[in-house]
This record gives sequence, C-alpha cells and structure tokens, in this order.
Amino acid sequence: MATRLRGRPAHAPGPTYLAYTPNGKKLITVGTNGAVRIFQHGSDDEPAIIDVTTDNHTAVVATNTFFLVGAEDGSVTKYSLLTNSMEEILVRCSLPVRDLSLSRDGEWVAVASDELEVKVVDTGDMTRIMHLREQSRPVKHVSFDVSGSMLAVSCSDGVVYMYSLSSEQPQLLKRIDGLVKTLETDAEASSKVAWHPDGRAFVAPTSTRDIQCLARKDWQRQKAFSGGHRADISAVKWSPNGALLATAGVDNSLCIWETRSQRLVKTFEDINHTILALNWHPTDNLCSYTNHNGELFIREDFVPSPSSSLLKIALHPAPMNNEPLSKISGNARKQADDRQKPDGVHRSVEDQYLDDLLGPDAMSEDDAGFIEDDDGAGYAEVPNGFGKRAAGAVNGLPVKRHQPYPSWRPQVQEAFQPGSTPWRGNRRYLCLNLTGFVWTVNQETHHTVTVEFYDRQEHRDFHFTDPYKYDKACLNEKGTLFSCPPSAQSQQSATLYYRPHETWTTRMEWKTQLPAGELVISMSLSDSCIVVMTTAGYVRVYTLFGVPLLVHRQKSTPAVTCASFRDYVMTVGTGPVSGDGTTRLLYSIENVRRDEICQNEDVLALPEGVELRSVFFSDKGDPCIYDTSGVLLTLLHWRTPGQAKWVPLLDTKMLERLASGKKDETYWPVAVADNKFHCIILKGGEEYPYFPRPLLSDFDFNIPVSSMPANKDDDEDKELAHQKGLEEQFVRASLQHSLQRDLVENTNASSAQKAEVSMMERGVDKVLLQMLAAECREGEERGMKALEIAALMRDRTGKMLEAAGKIASRFQRDILGDKIHQLAERRLVGLVDEEEM
Amino acid sequence: MAMFLPSGLTPDEVGFLCEAEEVTVIPRQRLEGLELLGGPTHALNPPFPTPLPLWLALLLKKQRRANISPPPWLSAEALTHILDFETDERTAEVLSPAPALPRATSTAPLEGDPYLSLDSLEFSAPFAKNAATSRAQQDALPYHWLELGHLLLTHASDDFDDPDTIRKLLRDLREVRMSKLRKGFKVLGPGAGIKMNGVGGMEIAEVRGFVEGMVNGLRKINRSREESRKEREAEDRENGLGSGSYQDDEDENML
Repeated sequence: MATRLRGRPAHAPGPTYLAYTPNGKKLITVGTNGAVRIFQHGSDDEPAIIDVTTDNHTAVVATNTFFLVGAEDGSVTKYSLLTNSMEEILVRCSLPVRDLSLSRDGEWVAVASDELEVKVVDTGDMTRIMHLREQSRPVKHVSFDVSGSMLAVSCSDGVVYMYSLSSEQPQLLKRIDGLVKTLETDAEASSKVAWHPDGRAFVAPTSTRDIQCLARKDWQRQKAFSGGHRADISAVKWSPNGALLATAGVDNSLCIWETRSQRLVKTFEDINHTILALNWHPTDNLCSYTNHNGELFIREDFVPSPSSSLLKIALHPAPMNNEPLSKISGNARKQADDRQKPDGVHRSVEDQYLDDLLGPDAMSEDDAGFIEDDDGAGYAEVPNGFGKRAAGAVNGLPVKRHQPYPSWRPQVQEAFQPGSTPWRGNRRYLCLNLTGFVWTVNQETHHTVTVEFYDRQEHRDFHFTDPYKYDKACLNEKGTLFSCPPSAQSQQSATLYYRPHETWTTRMEWKTQLPAGELVISMSLSDSCIVVMTTAGYVRVYTLFGVPLLVHRQKSTPAVTCASFRDYVMTVGTGPVSGDGTTRLLYSIENVRRDEICQNEDVLALPEGVELRSVFFSDKGDPCIYDTSGVLLTLLHWRTPGQAKWVPLLDTKMLERLASGKKDETYWPVAVADNKFHCIILKGGEEYPYFPRPLLSDFDFNIPVSSMPANKDDDEDKELAHQKGLEEQFVRASLQHSLQRDLVENTNASSAQKAEVSMMERGVDKVLLQMLAAECREGEERGMKALEIAALMRDRTGKMLEAAGKIASRFQRDILGDKIHQLAERRLVGLVDEEEM
Repeated sequence: MAMFLPSGLTPDEVGFLCEAEEVTVIPRQRLEGLELLGGPTHALNPPFPTPLPLWLALLLKKQRRANISPPPWLSAEALTHILDFETDERTAEVLSPAPALPRATSTAPLEGDPYLSLDSLEFSAPFAKNAATSRAQQDALPYHWLELGHLLLTHASDDFDDPDTIRKLLRDLREVRMSKLRKGFKVLGPGAGIKMNGVGGMEIAEVRGFVEGMVNGLRKINRSREESRKEREAEDRENGLGSGSYQDDEDENML
C-alpha cells in the first residue's frame, strides 16, 4: 500500500508534464516556469534543475541520454541527460507545440503543433524532416507505434490519421473517423492514441468516455474499457507489458484496468487536480503523474497486491475480439513478433535455477497458472492427461528463460483444419470448398453459423444460432459436421455434431461427446466416414450416422491435419526433426473399411523452410497438398505401400499472369477437380479470404518442367515455347495416365474408367507424335532425338510407330524413317522390351 | 412494302448476333447439357464456371439460376488501360488493336500457309473463340465489345464490382473511338476507303448508313467521269488490253 502520498511541487501552478527515461532511472518534469527538473528514481533528494530560456512547456519525451522539451513558443529543444545542459534547438514551429512522440529507438521525434502539419524530425540530424500534411486542422496529439514505423495523429477535427513512415515518403494509411472526440488543441481532455506494447492494437479515448481498442491490421473496433469515467479522459497509458491500463479523467479520477477482462482494478479517490500526464515506471510497480497545478506525484505500490503480479508478465496480448485460441483453432498463424511471446512469464532467477536443475519440463505446468479460465474461453491451457501440452500450443508456450539464454526447440508446424480461416473482425470461414461454405459470426455470447451452397437447387442454405461456439466444420454433399471445444460453463466436453442434408426419415442429427479433456485438432468428412484427430493422440473414425468404427493412436504426434475420401483416410502428424530445425511431417493413408494401410508414416515431401498449407483429395480421389511456396503436389502410386511419391502439378509462382512482375497475389487452395486447381486469388498480402466471399478461380495444371522463353514475340522463341509446351504436356499426360492406371488396377473400376486409361495412353502417344513432328521440322541433325522420342511410344500395336514413320517420310527424313520401321518390327516380335530401353 | 430500312444491320440485329458469343457463367444449379440447333451446350455443375452462349446465360441470369462472370477486358482496370491507349496522342491515328488471333490449330505438313490447307478452319473476328469468356484477352476489345458490355451491364449489373465506373468507361471509349472514325471520313472519296483495324460490330453498324450514303452521293456526282472512264476501259478491253475486273462496288463494303 502507498505509504505516503505527497505532491512534490515541481513547477509553478499550471500544466505540468513528465517523462521517464526508458531505463527508469530518471524522471523529467516540465511546467510553466522556465526550469526543467530531473528526479532520480528511488531517491528523495532534491531534483536536478536545468534553467531554460523557454517557459510554458507543453510536452517532454526522453531517451536514456537526452530529452526533448516542447514549448508554447513553438520550439522543441534537445537537452543532454549526461551533462544536464541544453544541446540544441531541434526544430522551431510558428505556433505552440502541443505534443511530442519519440520512436522507441529514439531516432525520430514527431512534433504536433498548432500548425496544420506534423513534423517528424531526426533527433540526431535536425535537417532530416518529414512533413505529414493530410490533416485539415491543427493536431492535438501524435503517437508512434512500438516499431516506430507508424504514427497515429489525433487531429482536432476528431479524426485519427494513421501514417506509415516505413518508406521515404510518409504515406497516409487510414483516416479513422468517429473514434475520438473533437477537441481544441489546448483542451485538458486528451484524444491521444496509446499503442499496446504488443504492437497489434491501440486504444483511444472516445467521446462516450470509454477507451476503445482498435486492431492495427484492419482498423476494426475490438474490445473497449467502458464505464469507468464520468468525464472526458485526460491521459491513457499502458503498463510496460500491456497487462494493465491506467487512465485519468478531467473529473479528478484515476483508474487502473485489467487488459484481459477490461475490468476496473482500482479507482483512486484522492486526486485533487486533473492529471495531465501519466507514466508507468518501466520496471517497478510505480506510477507517476503530473497535474494541472504544477505538482508531481510518485505513487509507489500503484497496482494493489492481487493484480500486481500482472506487472510481471512478459507481454500480455492486446484485448482483441476473437483472439485465436492457441490450442483450439489451429489456424492462427504465428505472430511475426518474435521479440517476446505473449502469455509468457518473467521468471525469477531462482526459477531459472530450478529449471536448470530439473530439466526443461519440470516446471512447465504451472507457467500459465495465473490465468483463470473462468469464462471457458480457453485462455489457460489445460494440460491433458499426460501433463503435456497439446500439439497446437507450441507457439503459445511461455518462454522458458530470459532472452539471453534461449533454449533451442524445433519449429513445429501448427495444426490446422483444411479450408478454414482464422478470425478476422468477428467473422471467419469454418469451411470453404466446392460444395459450399460455412461461416460463423461471433455475437459475444453466442455464434451464428451460416451454411451456404453453390448448388442452390440441390440443397437449401441454412442458418442457426450456436450456443456451443463451434470452431471447426466440414461440409460435403451429404451433410455438415461441426465440432466445438469443451466449455467450462456448461461442463460439456468437446462435442461432434453431424447434420445430414437430407434423409428419408425425419432428420437424423446426432451429437457425440469426446472423453473429458480431449480436444479436436482436425477432422474431416467424406462420403462414408468421419475422421477426428484429438489432442489425446487418437484418430477416431465414425460412420456417417455416428457408429464408432475405429479408434487408434496416431503414430506420429502431435497431429497436424487430416483429409479423407470415401474410405481412404490420410492423417498428417509431426515426425522427427530434420537438419534445418523444423520437424518433418509424416503422413499415413489407410482404408478404414478394409482396414488396410496404404502408406505408413511416409515423409510428406516439403523443402526447407516451406510449410504445409492445405491437404485435400482431388475429385478423382488422389491426395493433394499445397504448400506455402505455392506448389500443388499430388501423390502418385499411393495405393501400393512404399511406392508413393509426390509429384508437382502446378507451381503458382510460375503462372503466366505473374510473369509481368506487377501483380502481387497469392492463391488460397480450395480443391482440385476437373484437372484444374481451384483457388481463391488473394491480393495485397492477404493470407486468407474474407467477406464478401471472393470468386473461385481455376488454373490448368502446369508441371514445372522448364522455364518459358521471355520474349514471346520472337518467331524462334515462339517455336521454342511450343516445344517446351509439348514437353510439359507429355509429362502431364503421362502422369495423368499413371494416376488413372493406378485407379483402375486397384479399385473396382467402371468400364468407362478402363476405357479412359487406353484413351489417355493414346493421348500420351499423340503428344509424342507432335514432338516428333517438331523435331523433324528442325532438321536432319535432330534425328537421334526424334528416334528416342519414337522409342518412348507406349502403344504396343504398332499403329503409333507407323504414324511416326509416316511423319518422318513426309519430312523426307528417310534414315529416321528406316530406323523407326526397324524399331516397330523388333517391338512387334517382342525383341525390345522396356528393360532394354 | 413501304417500310424503310437502312441498308446493313440495325443495332438490334447487331445485338442479336452478339448474343451468340460465349460468356462464362457460374451456375447456381445443375443442368444437363442441352442439344440445341446451334450445337450442344456444356453441362452446368456448380460452382464450376462454364462457357455458355450469351442468350442462354442471360435467360438463366434472369431466372437467378446463374451468375455471369464478366470477361477480363470488361473490368475498370482493363478499360482504363484501353482508354489511356485510345486517348494517347501517339496513337491518335489508330484504334486499339483487336485481340490476337489464336495460334493456328492446323499444322501445315510442310512449309506453306496453314490457312491455305483444305482441312483447316481458322477463326478470326467476329468468329474468334473466347472473345467474352473468362479466358478472353484482357488488354483488347473484341468485335462485339459495345453490345456485350451493354447487355451485361443492363441485365447482370450485380455481377460487376463497380458497374457505374464500367458504364462510364464504356461510354468514354465509345465516344473517343467514334470521333476517331469520323476523322477518317474526311478522306473519304468516291473510290477511297479508310483503313481502321479493330473496329467493333456496333461501330460499323453505326457509321455504315452515313458512309454509304456519302459514298453513293459522291459517286452520283462523279457519274459522268466514271462513265467516261468505263467507256475508255471498254475500248481498251476491245483492244485486248483488259485491265482486269474493276469492282468499285466492293469499296463501300470495306467499312
């Protein structure tokens, strides 16, 4: 508890401002009189005083070595903290300076004055100035984000301007209207934006006296801290780790909020003057503020004891809606921020010592214990039955040690549900495929799920209110499968819910609950079975009507994802660590009806640094994968154990539409059907499709055989491109032929499918004939290659070789014609077989 | 019949011809392939985009059984690009080029012109394939661009991202191209044609009446001179110096 609280008369009565140095050793205050005071942290001695030539100071910012003071005469002056003396006048405005903001590295300072433009000045070289001129009225506040690449400018017209400073020319990213109140530049109330330390969100005081959080990614409103103030807000500051928020109002109020629940932790009653500036101490449980009366208050034990432990968390995530839950929705991509992981705990030296003694896992269970999972939203990670965390949580694991001693851990591919997207705003797609799409909207207390179909005649769209908050779904022609995580409120464990689209009896929906503590990692629905992979390492197979067929423990865990087609089930799990520090992915394919394993823990071929993006079966029933490098691969000979190999079908980076280099787009895989790759085109660095639902696009397969000549207009190049095209066509036709032959040999194929095999074989030979013709046209000297091409012919009846001979004679390549004729004869009597070739 | 019809095609007739163009639809329900007089149509299988004749696509669109996906050149971006080309000073003389012809499908067995071989059937405008499907060329206006754009914007405007901008761009394009065509009329004479590549069907229909009337009028004025020339030619032919068949009637069809 605060032992004593006395105002330190720092300056003459009037507006007073303060700043801590980032190391927390010094505190600088400025006020209306012509002096600057520098307090030593933890010392009650009289502060150092620098007499300055300016008075009526309006802002101060500090680094460890210098500080900058803005004054009403329009000057921004730089003072050294090493010598406690003035260094230079950094910039001079024609009108009073209103606010300063320093980038975290201390290199740039943004100056808001009553002029229309905001100046961003290099603190080391005052000749380097950027001007931000988009606002129409004077600016009240400026605020750099954590990375220093973005500046939030709160203008007196009630608009927040977001500038990107990462390029040479500052760019206006967004005008956020209706967020902050319209305030005069000299008003006591504040409209300053406060960036959350994790960099993904910021808060700003609104006209309704709430503190509204907005996401940096899409500028959507997130959660709000509301109901704490009865008057306008004059100062807002995040605690250094973002777990707490301190706010002050013009009605002499001061509040502390908890970030996670947005609840008030404490309201202070003993404030006599409006607080104008407020600063947390960078490390201690201490907060200082200055008021309108020239006084400085240093409040020790600022946060009351039960919540004060929150100050010790490494970095608390910003209060966003629909935060991807690290374990359950495996779709959340890793945050780019690798400085510190959210939810981790700064551990004391003793803890580290213990860790060293006990080994890496001994203390891991109580890491997250300070978070109470009281609303069942999955903040806390419940260790499963083995005291281990589940697969998906790997990126959310707390940092074991301080940064100087990072323990090595392999990079594990996160689990995901094919065809789903993470939350964005309050919406996400649970499933998107060629049948239709399932999306859900977060309505705080419940979700609403909508299922829409492409074929509106066959199926009827439906919509329902979902109290269970389903987070995964599968959709096909026969029905829809949902699953929800366990809920602490209703004491319900994870549930599967299947809803058939049509029945000949009354609708037969069913639900089944998984054993307590088990969570669904990934699931899939085929025409004849349901496959669920759980955190307990089980693969559970059900029939369409809920009869459990099979439960087995997956060999490679943690599980990543699964897919199924009819009775074939493909499961993907994490395997051993490979040379580049990532774990290999292993897949198994089995037929659950016949209980046969087709491929057993085979390696999913991914090059270094490339992750799996999606797994699905093509419409013909061949497994396909799409990876983060934009390559679509299919599995050849997968029905024979040990014979499987991954074959590329399409490299989207080599698509012709990207050849100009102007387009920046990626492709979000949807399906492979009709010998085409169906996908959604994502532009502008998007990673996932969003609403309104984008159109499906399709691309023909194009096996990356060779690069296309650059100059398309040249005749010679055109001919070359034609030949390369034929070569690609040959490889593709042979691949499709062998896929179809596999299918016919291993299943009860229909006669149409069998006929297709011989048709495809003829197709391959036709491409070879065209290649032969192209070679013959080139000239006599290409005869060897032409003969080689003729020898590749698959046809055993001799007709194709006869045709090849005709082509040779038409081009008057007589020697070649003779050789082809000999080859045909030897083949006919069986002298040449494939081994010899 | 006392009905007066201008020679050539009326805009309605041009629009009717345009309805035979194929466009890409995104079906909303299944439909087996139809055996029609003009040839079989593709089976519809949602959500796979399928090429269908425009008239059928519009019919399905009106019944809300399909969405039409506009061809790539009918986008704000592509049209702005083409309009830039048309208004550029350096290309003030010519219209923007028509779509490139497809690669010849029939390979000539030996050196020679593939178009001359008997079994080949090579298409060019207005019969070129994929003029208005999603595989159409993005940076060129096909033969039926104006009619097709108009029909799609009238009946399927909800399938466009920004129909008003596209409508405006089409109108701008029409005006700038018509003014280019009119500039060409200055050099028209009784025997002279103008060369304009990449003219659309509707544009031909629009200027045909004027050009034909004018050329005919000029020819009437010059009839005496022409008759004397013909006489001279007849004399020459009698003298055995035939200058071949001169068909000045063909000239007016060049437009």
